[in-house]
Amino acid sequence: MIGVFDYVRVGSVKEGCDLLAEHEGRARVFAGGTDLLVNIRNNGVSPDLLVDIKGIEPLGKLTVDAPDATIGACVPLNVIGENAAIAERCTALAQAALSVGSYQVRNRATLAGNVANASPAADTAPALLVLDAHVAVQGKAGGRDIPISELFLGVKKNSLAADEMITSIMLPSHAKHMRSAFIKKQRVRGHDLAVINMAGSLDQESGALRVAIGSCAVTPILLSIDSPIDCSAPIDELVARIDKIAQDAIRPIDDLRGSAAYRRGLIPVFLRRLLTMLVEREGGE
Amino acid sequence: MAKLHDIAVTVNGELETLSVPAGMTLLELLRDRLYLTGTKEGCGAGECGACTVILGDRPVNACLILAAETDGKEVRTVEGEASAASLSVLQQSFIDAGAIQCGFCTPGMIMSARALLARNPNPSDEEIKEAVAGNLCRCTGYEAIINAVRMAAKREAVTRQ
Repeated sequence: MIGVFDYVRVGSVKEGCDLLAEHEGRARVFAGGTDLLVNIRNNGVSPDLLVDIKGIEPLGKLTVDAPDATIGACVPLNVIGENAAIAERCTALAQAALSVGSYQVRNRATLAGNVANASPAADTAPALLVLDAHVAVQGKAGGRDIPISELFLGVKKNSLAADEMITSIMLPSHAKHMRSAFIKKQRVRGHDLAVINMAGSLDQESGALRVAIGSCAVTPILLSIDSPIDCSAPIDELVARIDKIAQDAIRPIDDLRGSAAYRRGLIPVFLRRLLTMLVEREGGE
Repeated sequence: MAKLHDIAVTVNGELETLSVPAGMTLLELLRDRLYLTGTKEGCGAGECGACTVILGDRPVNACLILAAETDGKEVRTVEGEASAASLSVLQQSFIDAGAIQCGFCTPGMIMSARALLARNPNPSDEEIKEAVAGNLCRCTGYEAIINAVRMAAKREAVTRQ
């Protein structure tokens, strides 16, 4: 037994939100459970009730029809990462999804859970930030749609109310010339949490650039870059300019995965790698 | 306080009907209620893969799944590998490749490899490594295990012909 709690498999979002509201913060949404069950077992989380939402049919769907891609809250990360349309249109997200945990974990872990858990190191968060994702949230009183950047409040703190759950993550359609990528520094190959992670998106026609960094502050951070950038500028110049913005924005700490100084030192290295990937892919292979 | 949940779960082809508390994991269900002790508990937190089983058609960590949510599902464990007469080709390959030392990781390795070979009968070494990246081995290292999976893929291909 990992804990003493009740379990209900709900058939609708409304049923789930009513239960969440009724339990006033003592109930937790249960999808993949790869964070929640570990927290119950090892980290003192002790809900009265787990509300299993995997029986809510629409939440298990991933649709990549124009104009938006919609990823239901119960879609496992492997299904997202292995989806050809996501890999093509939202490359950074597919790469980030496949870098979370192990194969077994990704068969259960969900995108919605990864962001709701609000870890500063959440791999999918930088990808969603640069892809301008929105989160569809439902509560007892109704639904709302928030930009992904407004979901993260602090370490393991999200902006959802006690009666609210994420129902899907929406990715807007992007210009044809938009490219994106995700990179991650981990201590070992295989599965590990990020020392830092970083995602970028670049519209090669307009020069609109977005860069987001994880594991370097209490939340993942989307840099405020004065876009558009000149894609033909020397890479050194671009790296220097964005590194300055990044160094001002991040607040890294020393922890068991790396020191603050090491994290700061990785930023320009990663920026160079990322920008090279985004710029070089212009005009195809 | 916590009530029991009636479930009907198919394990290695056998339908099992049980009442389980919400806090019981699939791993506990397998080991403590069905006495299928081939599936091991290492970390209990989804890090080591010793408890890997196949749920539906995907390998998962049985320590991170509640027994209550397996109602109506199909589970395969290492006990489902061998027939009454012989070990599976995959199991025999682990022996022949010397991929077992203490044996604690082996059931999880076998299940990850089984799931890999089901979705990709001819995996590259990189694909084998990725498939067992979530299974820790502290004895042999991984070389012999990768050899065993490669050997099993070849032998199963011959059997299929």
